[in-house]
Amino acid sequence: MVRTFALLSILTVLVVLPTLQLVFAAESVTPGEYVQRKVEIWNLFFKMMTIAFTVGAVVSGTLIWLIWRFRESNPKAKPTKYEEKGEW
Amino acid sequence: MGEHHSNRAEWIYIGVVISLLAYVGAEAWNVERIVEHAPAEAEVIKVTGQQWFWTFERADGTKEVGELHVKKGQPYKFEITAKDVNHSFNIHDYVVLQDAIVGRINTVWFAPDKAGEYTIQCREYCGLLHYNMRATLYVEE
Repeated sequence: MVRTFALLSILTVLVVLPTLQLVFAAESVTPGEYVQRKVEIWNLFFKMMTIAFTVGAVVSGTLIWLIWRFRESNPKAKPTKYEEKGEW
Repeated sequence: MGEHHSNRAEWIYIGVVISLLAYVGAEAWNVERIVEHAPAEAEVIKVTGQQWFWTFERADGTKEVGELHVKKGQPYKFEITAKDVNHSFNIHDYVVLQDAIVGRINTVWFAPDKAGEYTIQCREYCGLLHYNMRATLYVEE
């Protein structure tokens, strides 16, 4: 429990600090030059879509692998100990 | 469960998910902050939507109806409202989109970076002539 808590705390600090740094980073905007909504919004959309598709690929890939690997007809499949004892 | 059960995979999974969510949230929040923060020198233009045209009023009281003249490289802050029903103020080419609500003032700012003519349109169905509730934005050098 203590170890888990310590690990989580470290993880939180590791995540939160760079996030805060990113968010409050000083912007180097020269006077007279303004942000373009089109550019900012498109960049955000592009990043979010990259993350979404990557996560989607990993999750669906894991599911496909899981279903293929643990199907009954897989030659590597072995019964659980409950199935072995006929308790299921 | 076996005697030597390990939760490592689960913790790694949770860590990755939390990190991703934190990053996505921070990034989106940051972009929203940048996009919404109007520069102090932005010129205020009051925008009123009504069936079925747009009226623009500057600080000095001058008004334009159905067209708006602005200068390239200058920031503008729109204070948007509506007179009759809800409308939505949209300059497609500059990704400006803000609801025009009766009894409320919504703001949005932009700085045009290219001279030319652009379409301003209503983006909230507001009645029979909604499709033609357009105005022209003239960005001058």
